[in-house]
Amino acid sequence: MAAYIIRRVVWTVPVVLLVIFMTFTLMKQIEGNPFRKTERAVPAAVQANLERKFNLNKPWYVQYAQYVKGVATGDLGPSLVLRDRTVNDIVEEQFPRSIELGLLAFGWAVLLGVPAGVLAAMRPNSRFDYGSMLFSNVGFALPNFLVATLLIYFVSVKWGMLPTSGWTTWQHKILPSFTLGLVPMAYFARLVRGTMLETLQQDYVRTAKAKGLRRRRVLTVHVLRNSLIPVVTAAAPLLGYIITGSFIVENIFAVPGIGRYYVTAVSARDYSVVMGLTVLLSIIVIAANLVVDILYGILDPRTREART
Amino acid sequence: MSATQIAGRVAGVDAGAPIRQSSLWQDAWRRYLRNRGAVAAGILFLLIVVWCIVVPIVSPHDPNRIEFPDAYQGPSWSHPFGTDQFGRDLFTRAALGGRISIGIGFGATLAILLIGVAYGAISGFVGGKLDNALMRFLDALYGLPYLPFAILALAIIGTVNFWTMVVALSVASWFITARVVRGQIMTLKENDYVRAAYAVGVRWYMILGRHLLPNTLGVLVITIFLELPGVILGEAFLSFLGLGINPPDASWGSMAQDGRDAYRAHPHIIIIPSLAIATLVLCANFIADGLRDALDPRTKET
Amino acid sequence: MGRLLEVEDLRTHFFTRAGVVRAVDGVDFSVEKGKTLGIVGESGCGKSVTALSIMRLLPTPPARIVSGSIRFDGRELTTLSERELEDVRGREVAMVFQDPMTALNPTLTIGTQIIEVLRRHLGLDDRTARRRAAELLDEVGIPRARERLDDYPHQFSGGMRQRVVIAIAIACEPRLLIADEPTTALDVTVQAQVLDLLDDLRREHEMAMILITHNMGVVAESADDVAVMYAGQIVEQAPAHELFRRPEHPYTEALLAALPDLDDNGARSRRLAAIPGRPPDLIDPPQACRFAARCPYAGCGDSCALEPPALRELRPDHRVRTAHPASEREAVTA
Repeated sequence: MAAYIIRRVVWTVPVVLLVIFMTFTLMKQIEGNPFRKTERAVPAAVQANLERKFNLNKPWYVQYAQYVKGVATGDLGPSLVLRDRTVNDIVEEQFPRSIELGLLAFGWAVLLGVPAGVLAAMRPNSRFDYGSMLFSNVGFALPNFLVATLLIYFVSVKWGMLPTSGWTTWQHKILPSFTLGLVPMAYFARLVRGTMLETLQQDYVRTAKAKGLRRRRVLTVHVLRNSLIPVVTAAAPLLGYIITGSFIVENIFAVPGIGRYYVTAVSARDYSVVMGLTVLLSIIVIAANLVVDILYGILDPRTREART
Repeated sequence: MSATQIAGRVAGVDAGAPIRQSSLWQDAWRRYLRNRGAVAAGILFLLIVVWCIVVPIVSPHDPNRIEFPDAYQGPSWSHPFGTDQFGRDLFTRAALGGRISIGIGFGATLAILLIGVAYGAISGFVGGKLDNALMRFLDALYGLPYLPFAILALAIIGTVNFWTMVVALSVASWFITARVVRGQIMTLKENDYVRAAYAVGVRWYMILGRHLLPNTLGVLVITIFLELPGVILGEAFLSFLGLGINPPDASWGSMAQDGRDAYRAHPHIIIIPSLAIATLVLCANFIADGLRDALDPRTKET
Repeated sequence: MGRLLEVEDLRTHFFTRAGVVRAVDGVDFSVEKGKTLGIVGESGCGKSVTALSIMRLLPTPPARIVSGSIRFDGRELTTLSERELEDVRGREVAMVFQDPMTALNPTLTIGTQIIEVLRRHLGLDDRTARRRAAELLDEVGIPRARERLDDYPHQFSGGMRQRVVIAIAIACEPRLLIADEPTTALDVTVQAQVLDLLDDLRREHEMAMILITHNMGVVAESADDVAVMYAGQIVEQAPAHELFRRPEHPYTEALLAALPDLDDNGARSRRLAAIPGRPPDLIDPPQACRFAARCPYAGCGDSCALEPPALRELRPDHRVRTAHPASEREAVTA
């Protein structure tokens, strides 16, 4: 197991380097011009100064090495557009809100999605089963900007129960996090139902019943535990969903987080910010994958040997 | 009784119900037709596609003509879906937007398949260290959000049109397909008929082209409908954020963005394209489920 | 010795979309205390469904015990509530399943899986249960029992896993052990060991056993009584030595003929006999004798082609369900 973890961790290093390199190369295609392309002509001396400040006059591999070094030491460089602000400043200011939004959304999903899946699987083809699966299908299909708009329209505007936008009090946080949590919720409900139905069919569940164990113990120790292993694996793609969704949700509910700022930065051609945020998001996903893989190894002993 | 006699009697018993030879695809098709939800979804999907193709041709309204006096009309006989803030007929415009949304959807899905099959087939076919490296790479990138990369890709290309959207949406969406194809190739490679082909000296490209890739076709058909919803939603997200299709062209996403500011007074402008997206995505999901049940022999009997 | 288990006219049907499958259709048998009953038949004949009916472990729906009674030590099992059944399972009646590869929970150590049954029924504390679990593993012949408690099922071979399953089954000293094809999934070399183990354990713990198998050889080795099942019914029932010496039902004869018999040099003396045809569809079983279509003695005018023969007692303790038992056949031709 330890060997497996070490191998897995070691493997992430080249992947992170590669992701940074790809982002870096992509940025090179448009970079070099954020200053030249501006409508106002920039004096040659200023231009040269700016280029020196951002290392644009050095060969690309030096720039890359410096950037990697920066990332490794937690320095994502200065903003190209906002004077006196670094990408780190922006991340420190906006990122906590995005994390909070994401965690709250995940919370909704676990709180409502997992029990819905469990109950549906325990009574397959019941009304509850059909209802929750219908909800799950619709939850998958509705674009979140429609969900957000409808929630704002009814809950905020018509009934006046919650504020329409912003991110200050807990009331502000309900609608955005619920909207963002809808797809993961639908996903959990469906996934848990499926894995649980499959587990219920397993021979070892029959063995557990044949032992005369109480129904509660059979369900919690033998069925639920094994059914939730695939759910852990699903956490990584869900993180992707949540990040993508946060771009829209933060935009509509005016949550000053990373997702919204990313779009702003692209429009403002603040490429060092765009690059920094992209690298940051990628590293988060890669780290999440790492954690999930290790967790999976702990939860399912069969994979321990197979994977080392 | 001799062995041949016994065999004859057994065959005689079996002959009572002749086993009709049918191909995998005919079989799958029959199973698909038995799934009522999937059939309904398939029909609705086709109807939407036909609507998108036909309506702009036969419609009396020019979908791009601005008629301010007609702005913000609710649904009526002459405008079944009402009009938008410029007085454009939404029934025609939604069909036109559907052409672009669905077109981009299929375009990007095909691109995803191409990249995924290439990556997965190489990884699975070559195997060994290369496979290990390629898969570790995928492991690490699993679940990477496609939206930031799509935005980045569009920023780099600099222009937004049908083809750049296709590129942007497929750039970071092919990981799962690659993994699926690789898994399929790995399983197929273990089959005795592939080993037999190697044993009699069939060349590797013939094995890949004749024995391995054709047998991934079932999985690929399912993948089309698994990927399509994500891509169509992705297009909608980009356009909704104002980074996608530009006016006067319309996609369902950009139409939803048009309706965004007026949602309190005229909610139909945002609801109609959004529901179109939702319906299409729902259909695709049901079709994917039906195809999986029909093509996956493991779930054959249940 | 009294009767421990009495099954009377048991009918277990599966209610499926295609129709009602009469998997078990009127089965009677009893098991004496401390004795082994072998139930033999080909796959699909309803022997496993019978076992699972006794344990009440069949998924409901689609399966349902339609009629009949199952009395264990005078107690009717068919009407017990799920909660009452939980006290019987594993404590009074325990079961060993066919496939040891899937019968154990892959994510729990085998120690946990043995201890949980000890704690459930005997109320042992953790320490005592753990010590007892090690003793059990030792008893079923697993070396280094104490250390292996913390291993996971995938770290054991098939035969060893079946020993673990057996350890779990005998943990609470049940009075009846149902072994459903306990050796089918195992290597041939291991099969005999596991059978011997079961037989030894049965003797030591004075358990009764139902041994379900499709293999006549297995029955010959360890059963006291044998019931032959075909298409959801018992077609012949007799003490083991009697059945092997004087089989009456054509199906039993065919099963015995399908066994390889070795001559003195250990070479196979003749070609194996196959039984032509297939068992009938249990959704719509024939009105007549269910074996008629495959029976070499059934003529077209016979009564058995029209109405099903009843199970009748040819000799004391030897019952058979056919119009053409071997002993009567000879009498007719002679």
